Amino acid sequence: MASTKKLFRNITNKLVELKDTSEIMMDLAYSSVLLNSRELAEEVQELEEHVDDLHTEFELLVLSSGFKPTESRDFLGLIRLGVVAERIADAAAEISEVVLRGLEPHPILKLVIEEAEETVTRVQVTKKSSLVGKKLRDAQLPEETGMWVLAIRRGKKWLRPQPNSVIKTGDFLIASGYTEGEEDLRKLASGQTISEV
Amino acid sequence: MVRLEKIEYKPMPIRDLLVQMKDISELMIDLAYSAALFHSRELAEEVLELERRVDTLAYILEMNAMLAARDAEDAEALVGVYTVAAAANKISDAAADIAGNVLREIGVHPIVREAFRKVEEQLSRAEVNPNSILAGKTLRELELAAKIGVDIIAIRRKGEWIINPKGGETINAEDILIARGAPLGIEELKGLAGGTIQKLED
Repeated sequence: MASTKKLFRNITNKLVELKDTSEIMMDLAYSSVLLNSRELAEEVQELEEHVDDLHTEFELLVLSSGFKPTESRDFLGLIRLGVVAERIADAAAEISEVVLRGLEPHPILKLVIEEAEETVTRVQVTKKSSLVGKKLRDAQLPEETGMWVLAIRRGKKWLRPQPNSVIKTGDFLIASGYTEGEEDLRKLASGQTISEV
Repeated sequence: MVRLEKIEYKPMPIRDLLVQMKDISELMIDLAYSAALFHSRELAEEVLELERRVDTLAYILEMNAMLAARDAEDAEALVGVYTVAAAANKISDAAADIAGNVLREIGVHPIVREAFRKVEEQLSRAEVNPNSILAGKTLRELELAAKIGVDIIAIRRKGEWIINPKGGETINAEDILIARGAPLGIEELKGLAGGTIQKLED
């Protein structure tokens, strides 16, 4: 049955998106505190609203799937996974509120979150870039530029970077690292060559 | 009757407590999803074990934070620390709930599980047998990521957890390894840890 197949594909895709978005939010929330960055904190707040929408869409998909009584436990498990992603997103939003309320993050927090990270940047990958079509693992950005990708924004979607994620033209990479690495990453993404050190 | 461990004040650096809470809660999310999607009771049990640990750390952190605040300025500075700790605790509670579902046999629909397997790398648990060739070697020497495509993301050693172990960490007999990787690599790791595979191919 093609329609059942499609339904399950939709449910799975929505769940993956919900889960990944909530985890990206955690990374961005911690980074917002670390860098005392209102910009990132606001991004987290926006994603929180986005997650609320995703969660509703996900629940509606599951509830309208016309499952049989014998399958209800399996569908309950799905609903609960969605709830957990939503709770993680809430926790991330609470972390980012520390920054939005203007509380100067305690030095302890900076020590906890990361010793070395210093800046967060957003670069767009152009079609000339050597990164296009590469897996994140093969792009070796931490080695090449000292920058660590926190999230990938593709159109309206936020992707959680995984070693197998393939970089595409037009992607925004949100990355953190040393200030010196920012320029190198920008060049790589725009297709210019990095000067050898 | 509910029996909970009595938690006594221990002077501990707030920084260390928070690092542990953050690291453990992140590991718990990964473990919990993996437990649900790969239907592993074993991983679910590890999550519940970690959850008890986060609760204990949270109490100790709160006590230390209360004692650290001497005036209004301190209190303002520490409220952020407290908020982050509370968020880590919430995350660990959410992860524990997924684990609880797994143990109560509230499953995830098999078709969705199947689809997830294609996009998510599996987490798994392997116990190191005394006759395993892994015992006594450092992670750097073993190069498991390069050789079998498996990352060791945590080690449980006699009730202690080492999260994101560094290359210099030595694997001991009886360690529980928590690893991430493709199914074939995970199988190989289990064989190596269990002692049934005695050679690590290049």
